[in-house]
Amino acid sequence: MSIVPKETIEVIAQSIGIANLSTDVALALAPDVEYRLREIMQEAIKCMRHSKRTVLTADDVDSALSLRNVEPLYGFASGDPLRFKRAVGHKDLFYIDDKDVDLKDVINAPLPKAPLDSGVVAHWLAIEGVQPAIPENAPVEAIVAPSENKRSEHGKEDGLPVDIKLPVKHVLSRELQLYFDKITELIVSRSDSILFKEALESLATDSGLHPLVPYFSYFIADEVTRSLNDLPLLFALMRVVRSLLRNPHIHIEPYLHQLMPSMITCIVAKRLGHRIADNHWELRDFAANLVASVCRRFGHVYHNLQYRLTRTLLNAFLDPSKAMTQHYGAIQGLAALGPSVVRVLILPQLETYMQLLEPEMQLEKQKNEMKRKEAWHVYGALLCAAGKCLYERVKLFPSLLHPPTRQFWRSNGRVATKMPNKRKASSSHLLQQPALKKLASDGTAGSIPPISMTTSMQAAADGFPTPSESGIRPSSSTGQLSNESISGGSRKEKSGGKAPTPSTVLAQAWKEDLDAGHLMASLFELFGEGIFSFIQPVEMSFFL
Amino acid sequence: MEEEELQKAVYAYLRKKGFRQTELALQEEQNRLSSSAQSDLAVSRLDNDPARYHDAYSKLRSWAYSSLDLYKHELLRVLYPVYIHCFMDLVAEGHMQEARTFFHTFREDHELTHLRDLQKLEGILSPSHLEEMELARSLRQNKVKIKLCEYSYDLLLQYLQKTQSFTMLGIINEHINFEVSAGQPSSISDDADVVALVGSSQDIAKHINQKEVRWGLLEDSVEERLERALSDSEKAEGENKEVDPEDSKKRSVEGAKQGVSVKKLKKDKLVGATGKNIRSETSTVSMAPRVKPELTLPVMTTEVEQSILEDLRNRVQLSSLALPSISFYTFINTHNSLNCSSISHDGSLVAGGFSDSSLKVWDMAKIGRPTKTFTEQQPSANLQGESESVQNEHLLGPEERKRSYTLFQGHAGPVYSATFSPFGDFLLSSSSDSTIRLWSTKLNSNLVCYKGHNYPVWDVQFSPVGHYFASCSHDRTARIWSMDRIQPLRIMAGHLSDVDCVQWHANCNYIATGSSDKTVRLWDVQSGECVRVFIGHRSMVLSLAMSLDGRYMASGDEDGTIMMWDLSSGRCVSPLMGHSSCIWTLAFSCEGTLLASGSADCTVKLWDVTASMKVPRMEENKASSTNRLRLLKALPTKSTPVYTLRFSRRNLLFAAGALSKQV
Repeated sequence: MSIVPKETIEVIAQSIGIANLSTDVALALAPDVEYRLREIMQEAIKCMRHSKRTVLTADDVDSALSLRNVEPLYGFASGDPLRFKRAVGHKDLFYIDDKDVDLKDVINAPLPKAPLDSGVVAHWLAIEGVQPAIPENAPVEAIVAPSENKRSEHGKEDGLPVDIKLPVKHVLSRELQLYFDKITELIVSRSDSILFKEALESLATDSGLHPLVPYFSYFIADEVTRSLNDLPLLFALMRVVRSLLRNPHIHIEPYLHQLMPSMITCIVAKRLGHRIADNHWELRDFAANLVASVCRRFGHVYHNLQYRLTRTLLNAFLDPSKAMTQHYGAIQGLAALGPSVVRVLILPQLETYMQLLEPEMQLEKQKNEMKRKEAWHVYGALLCAAGKCLYERVKLFPSLLHPPTRQFWRSNGRVATKMPNKRKASSSHLLQQPALKKLASDGTAGSIPPISMTTSMQAAADGFPTPSESGIRPSSSTGQLSNESISGGSRKEKSGGKAPTPSTVLAQAWKEDLDAGHLMASLFELFGEGIFSFIQPVEMSFFL
Repeated sequence: MEEEELQKAVYAYLRKKGFRQTELALQEEQNRLSSSAQSDLAVSRLDNDPARYHDAYSKLRSWAYSSLDLYKHELLRVLYPVYIHCFMDLVAEGHMQEARTFFHTFREDHELTHLRDLQKLEGILSPSHLEEMELARSLRQNKVKIKLCEYSYDLLLQYLQKTQSFTMLGIINEHINFEVSAGQPSSISDDADVVALVGSSQDIAKHINQKEVRWGLLEDSVEERLERALSDSEKAEGENKEVDPEDSKKRSVEGAKQGVSVKKLKKDKLVGATGKNIRSETSTVSMAPRVKPELTLPVMTTEVEQSILEDLRNRVQLSSLALPSISFYTFINTHNSLNCSSISHDGSLVAGGFSDSSLKVWDMAKIGRPTKTFTEQQPSANLQGESESVQNEHLLGPEERKRSYTLFQGHAGPVYSATFSPFGDFLLSSSSDSTIRLWSTKLNSNLVCYKGHNYPVWDVQFSPVGHYFASCSHDRTARIWSMDRIQPLRIMAGHLSDVDCVQWHANCNYIATGSSDKTVRLWDVQSGECVRVFIGHRSMVLSLAMSLDGRYMASGDEDGTIMMWDLSSGRCVSPLMGHSSCIWTLAFSCEGTLLASGSADCTVKLWDVTASMKVPRMEENKASSTNRLRLLKALPTKSTPVYTLRFSRRNLLFAAGALSKQV
């Protein structure tokens, strides 16, 4: 019942040499022991409070004991917390692990380092009520809060004079200047060193860097425009941007206007790096993700941010005179903004764009290997973007895909048997461009599609249901539709007929954006099987 | 025995006289009585069953919880006293087991508001503990006062009568005083009375609080002289210059000064309505009424006076729109041993009391600003070493010269408090060795050791004028001392538990003490009498601050609640919620517009106190719920609990705390 059971009393009695303590005595003692314990703890808590602590230590208990004129308990000097161990075989018996210490070892052990002497340092916690963002201060919303606070305060106390702040000379402490110099030096010269990684880490976490942000953003903008053909440098700069964006203590909004152009440059510049072998694709991807993260974070504050960004990217994407690299960047940039952007902006253009892209990818039509490679990259990016978009749709409406696919496979063994046919045909086609296939696969996650642009759309065209059909119908017809299109595709291999554009259907599908089935069908027409890799594994299993 | 004999004698007499009828009647009556006595006995035996407490209480509880929403919170208030008295009754009757079960069954209900009391009561395990424990004894002896509206009271009585629960009725009759008020039930937020379930009886507190407190400022203070000088010069310029009150802060202050000068002309000395007539819009220090000092005050040297005047002229006006600058002194490498800290008035000296009995004083002016690098610091530290007394240098040796501080050794136990004299030339420290020591910061040595307390001295504070100081201790007393006597001048006894903190009133005629019995008391220094008891805290009071106009007091407790008290009425003006842990320190700004609080939750918070102070002046009664003090700003530190806050005379806020590692 009580905290101290009589067994404990008996054990303690034994430990001090009273072998046979009667149960009655133990029972009578137990409550009193508990009371005394509580009393000591109450005093110990007082001592703790007066030592301005919120954690009770063994010292406090000692002080409490001495308050009660009881000899303190020696040997429990606070330092490490005491570790209680459970006695083997007893559920609720604990003891403190008190190891024997060899005196020789203690004597021979080297002296431990003397603890540092206490000292006092001073800093400004607040200057006229505003907390300066210096490393000594806790990282808080202090940077954001003042403006809001002030506003609300001025709102409340009406008729108060608004204090106009005169322009202040920006003074950087020497430490910050040194820091800036070191970081910029690292960026420019040693961006592959471990030190640079640590520098990035510091940029992403340190709280006192706010005064340096304008300098950094200027430096980045400047360097990007100046050294477009130095790929490692550009990469390093983008990494710095990422770190700055990540730093929770930096209020980066005012400098975004300076950083955004640099980032977009790194996405859609015509040439990045001076060597052909430079992997500028990676930089574009990186920058695209960066820009997307900016949009996500600040999109709600600056409403036209995403609009302006997408406009820039879309312009690059839709301009046929732009280089393939630029197209690639634009697609990646748009794709990074999320599937809905892809759906609204890329997919409607997909049809036309593929027509442009197709000749670039074929060995016969595009002799320049470099260009062809680029085209395949673009193709990969497009596939990836469209696929992700599809994946999202399918995820949203899983029911759309489930029954038809099953039905499709159950009902139609023919297609399965015909598939190899088609595959053979297309792979024979592919054989000519194995390298290109590899390239495209770099951009995509799954298998490489045969060039299904050649697939006939005829069957699809007559197989498509009218868009006005009710909810259930389209889903059931989807299976039919893909079924048809596949068989149609295989038919096409033989016939090699013309491909009437399904753009009307596509357009309809985009409008009725609920219809994932249509979307998939259309995408399948454009990309072939490659698109299946974006469908959830469950559905995938039907195709394997 | 005697009764029986008497009875026999009566029967014999009746028989002898032949009063046959009377005899029968008597017999009959006697039988009836005895049988009823027997049945009474049976009832009381039933009553002794310990389970009846449990049953009756749980019935009462479920009834209270299912009562009408409007009256529920009032009825729930009744539960707590009933609960603890049921428990104590059970203990007193010796049903330990049942008492325990009962206690744990319903404990959760009350944990939220009375956790600390419950923790203490939990320890009661035998009837003798009831006698021994302070809290239990006072609970048993005093009645709890509970405010109920008429209807709730009726409801309760009806319930008790209908259910015939005499146990409950007994307890309620015995331990609760109902204060029935007509009309609507009080609002839930207005819950102060529930909290007031403390040791000291309400009536005594009420009685004490009737006494007069002259909270005004001292006559002829330096501030006043300065104002007089200013207003004189102003008068020369032209007195009838109409000042737009909202024009600017400075103007209004000048207006106030004029007010004072007018008052001076009228030669009004004490409290009274006169103050109100000339009271202008802003509440500056000068508005407070003047009182005579009850102590003989030390004479100020002209140099000191000059420096104070200089400070006053340069004082920054603070308000909710003009927040102070805060300079934070962080103690580093304290290894969890810093117990207290103190900052001198000008912020140049910082003292830390450590649990290893040492007291260390840093001269911030010599250490220099933190931007100085270590190498730069070295020579200045050396300089410090050289300036130390010869004796110290010999003792400490070359290694010690690198020290950035002056070490004061003398105590034989953890140092719990330190305080600088108003002009920074003396330092007092109190320790668990139950002594107070006076140190000279000029000579760097110990001057006096004051022995008087019997137990650890928790807090010591210099009076605002110096020379006198107050201390408080685990021995439940607070004492007043003067620097030149080794015996205390006054001993203030009355708290029911440790006196944890002490603070001087601005006019030096009163001291306030905060205690573990959850009350704050105000004592007259001259008579040693308790003149106010402030009841309302729910846990140990850790810090106190007095506004410089002498009218208000703030107290902070273990739970993070700060309460503002009006000294003249003894009422709580408004509780300040916001901190989540112990309030270690409180400080009023010099003109009393801001309150700063420092807490173990590693924040400094600034509160606007003008809002709350003005309302009660206009409508004294309805103040409590309307004027919650406004939190102006919360300034978090980097894992540094704030130990000390101090406004300089120029209204710069100094704060100190020890950097603690996050666990």
